[in-house]
Amino acid sequence: MHELGIVFEVIKVVDGFVKENKLTKVDKIVLEIGELSQAIPRFIEECYPAAVDETDYKETKLEIISLPANGECNICQEVYNIISNRKVCPKCDGQDFKLISGQEFNIKEIVAY
Amino acid sequence: MGEFKVFTIKKNINEDNKKVADETREYLKSHNTYLINVMSSPGSGKTSTLVATIEALKNEMNIGVIEADVDSDVDAEAVENAGARAVQMHTGGLCHLDATMTRAGIDQLEVEDLDLVFLENIGNLICPVGYDTGAMKNIAVLSVPEGDDKPLKYPKIFGKVDVLIVSKIDVMEHFDFEMERLKERVLKLNKDIKIIPISSKTGEGVEAWLNWIKEQVKGRS
Repeated sequence: MHELGIVFEVIKVVDGFVKENKLTKVDKIVLEIGELSQAIPRFIEECYPAAVDETDYKETKLEIISLPANGECNICQEVYNIISNRKVCPKCDGQDFKLISGQEFNIKEIVAY
Repeated sequence: MGEFKVFTIKKNINEDNKKVADETREYLKSHNTYLINVMSSPGSGKTSTLVATIEALKNEMNIGVIEADVDSDVDAEAVENAGARAVQMHTGGLCHLDATMTRAGIDQLEVEDLDLVFLENIGNLICPVGYDTGAMKNIAVLSVPEGDDKPLKYPKIFGKVDVLIVSKIDVMEHFDFEMERLKERVLKLNKDIKIIPISSKTGEGVEAWLNWIKEQVKGRS
């Protein structure tokens, strides 16, 4: 499964941050996942418990913020979701857009002490 | 017990992968080894293409292959018989290789005396594209039976690779496959791509592909 590898990568980065900042406990990890990224939030959530099992992050919660696949129309500057509008601008019917969000996969923050 | 605080990390997970990939490229350059990442769907002829390539070039250069599969060693055996040094990586169900896994394969292969290494990625047109492996060049293999409409369905891979090998052209007459239609679709996604139609069976087009490799390996240092 694709997402499991991604979750391991997340844990690796968080673990690095925790050690660097000498933290003792992580309560929550907050991810930002774009609609066009290679990860599906539901699958990330499903494989997360398996990935953290028997690690220091067993009790750590996971929160996912979904970021929309938004494009800005190059003709009329309307900002619209390119998935639900099938890439066509709902205002002017143009198909020439600049992608402004949706490809992210970020670890936004962690809640820890 | 301490008080919980929010720590902003704001880190793109792919950046970490990119860092490992850049380190791999530096390491390979220091050993004068050229890495090519080969991607395609299962059954497109990646292994047959590599076998033909190794047989043709083994007297000119030392070649290694990192085989990545979910299971089995059949591909590693095939390329070893052709004259390359091979390691087989088992991804255990994972659908792509990232930079860390690739690095493990490189270390296992021991590339110091190798001029050229192929990374035969997992057969999959979607996931491998999103990961920088540390290769100098990325190529895709598309076989004639898969159809000339693949670039429409999987635009990302065709938009990214440096070379597209169109394999199994010896069977073209049996399929509704038009080379010009394919080229048009691919070039629309990627105007810098080099398209090389080949048949590992008849040898047609293989020369052009070998020349491309020789150019890369020659220009590596």
